[in-house]
Amino acid sequence: MKTTIVPLGPQHPVLPEPLSFDLVLDNERVIDAVPSIGFIHRGLELLAPKRDFEEYVMIAERVCGICSFMHGMGYSSAVESVLALPVPRRARQLRVILAELSRVHSHLLWLGLAADAFGFENLFMQTWRLREEVLDMFEETTGGRVIFNIVKVGGMRKDIEDATLSRISSRLTAMKPQLKEITDIFLNDYTVKHRLSGLAVLPEAEARELGVVGPMLRASGVVSDQRLGNPMYEGLRWEAAVEKDGDCHARCRVRVKEIFQSIDIIAQAAGAMAADGIAAKIASAPNGEAFYRAEQPRGEAIYYVRGNGTRMLERFRLRTPTFANVPAVVKLLKGTELADVPTIILTIDPCISCMER
Amino acid sequence: MTMDIALIEAAALPERVKGLRAAGSRLAVISAVALPVAAAGEAPAVELTYSFDKDGALSHLRLTAAPGQKVPSVSGDYFSAFLYENEIREQFGVEFEGLVLDFKGTLYKTAVRVPFAVAAPVKKPVPGANS
Repeated sequence: MKTTIVPLGPQHPVLPEPLSFDLVLDNERVIDAVPSIGFIHRGLELLAPKRDFEEYVMIAERVCGICSFMHGMGYSSAVESVLALPVPRRARQLRVILAELSRVHSHLLWLGLAADAFGFENLFMQTWRLREEVLDMFEETTGGRVIFNIVKVGGMRKDIEDATLSRISSRLTAMKPQLKEITDIFLNDYTVKHRLSGLAVLPEAEARELGVVGPMLRASGVVSDQRLGNPMYEGLRWEAAVEKDGDCHARCRVRVKEIFQSIDIIAQAAGAMAADGIAAKIASAPNGEAFYRAEQPRGEAIYYVRGNGTRMLERFRLRTPTFANVPAVVKLLKGTELADVPTIILTIDPCISCMER
Repeated sequence: MTMDIALIEAAALPERVKGLRAAGSRLAVISAVALPVAAAGEAPAVELTYSFDKDGALSHLRLTAAPGQKVPSVSGDYFSAFLYENEIREQFGVEFEGLVLDFKGTLYKTAVRVPFAVAAPVKKPVPGANS
């Protein structure tokens, strides 16, 4: 059999960040795919032993420009686990609100990119118009649109007034009809469904075996969400968004569900804010180790920290959701048409900045 | 915080991993830590921790790879391990036997030759000790 190798990436219209696959083709059909990473590797993990553990939060936030808050929060929570530091309830509620706002923003970003990838330019622009409103909310509450610098080990650096939180919750609720109008197109439009339905199906058993995480796992029918059982979400009513089909459209449907779900979670948290302060006092340096798992927009992120009682950590390790999902893409691409490859890669919502921490 | 960590030898890894896979555990992450060395420039031993998820709970297998020691790959049981193992090889210089997708040191497209300089801390002398 005569095969052709086509490199996809590291620069490609559907990849805003550099990731590469060498696609082995038999005519138009992919028979193998070999990924390459490391084009922008930054070595942020190995920077941890050279920085004060409290200052490192700012570096952790810079792992990614989309879920920057989540990385700061995940790192801080891992250090807090080692320190056995009780974080005030208000700080935890503020973290939930900003984390869910990050999810709304990230999923809207993905929906826009997906629309752009399958050639629906107007849908792309309308989705990102709504995303801008979420970025405005970040700016209003934290002062930043990308990097917020609001989370710290022990809690939060600054408070957000209850009135501001209520206003944001109301604005999000008011956005729902517009969001519904746009997301209905992703859910029901003939062209979108034709492009995504039945494509790159990942059955439940294979999803578990390949270790995929986040919306990709839930789209294959697995109820797995690190927010379930997380004390931060105590008292909030919500259920993991799950779909059964395991295809590209199911991944899209999970993200659409999660946008509305996050808005509801924000409303619940903003309506019951505690008043017990925003940060706990740190009395010692971390001595010991801990794993902490957070549910980022793209899925489970795992933070590992090990301290030796000094101000510098011995080790910080971060396994991002994209890192967990790339091996599955290698399997999913086999047997598909070349024209579908960009869409399939996009449906894992790859974040190369996270992966190249 | 308590963690469920089982300390094992590298030779016992394949059997333990097969057992976890049969029990339906998911490979969540493989982590590496360069252990302290006696003097700067020495090749460190590397501690490998394999973390598995079952019904939302994490359990871990931990082994120490001496400098130059080869560790059996678990990518035959868990395909996703190939990415962790290739990365650990490039970052820490640990060699894995039986990798299903072996990048042979070319996973990272960097100008710097791999493995990267491992930032192994130097052991501090214990006050009052003779050696």
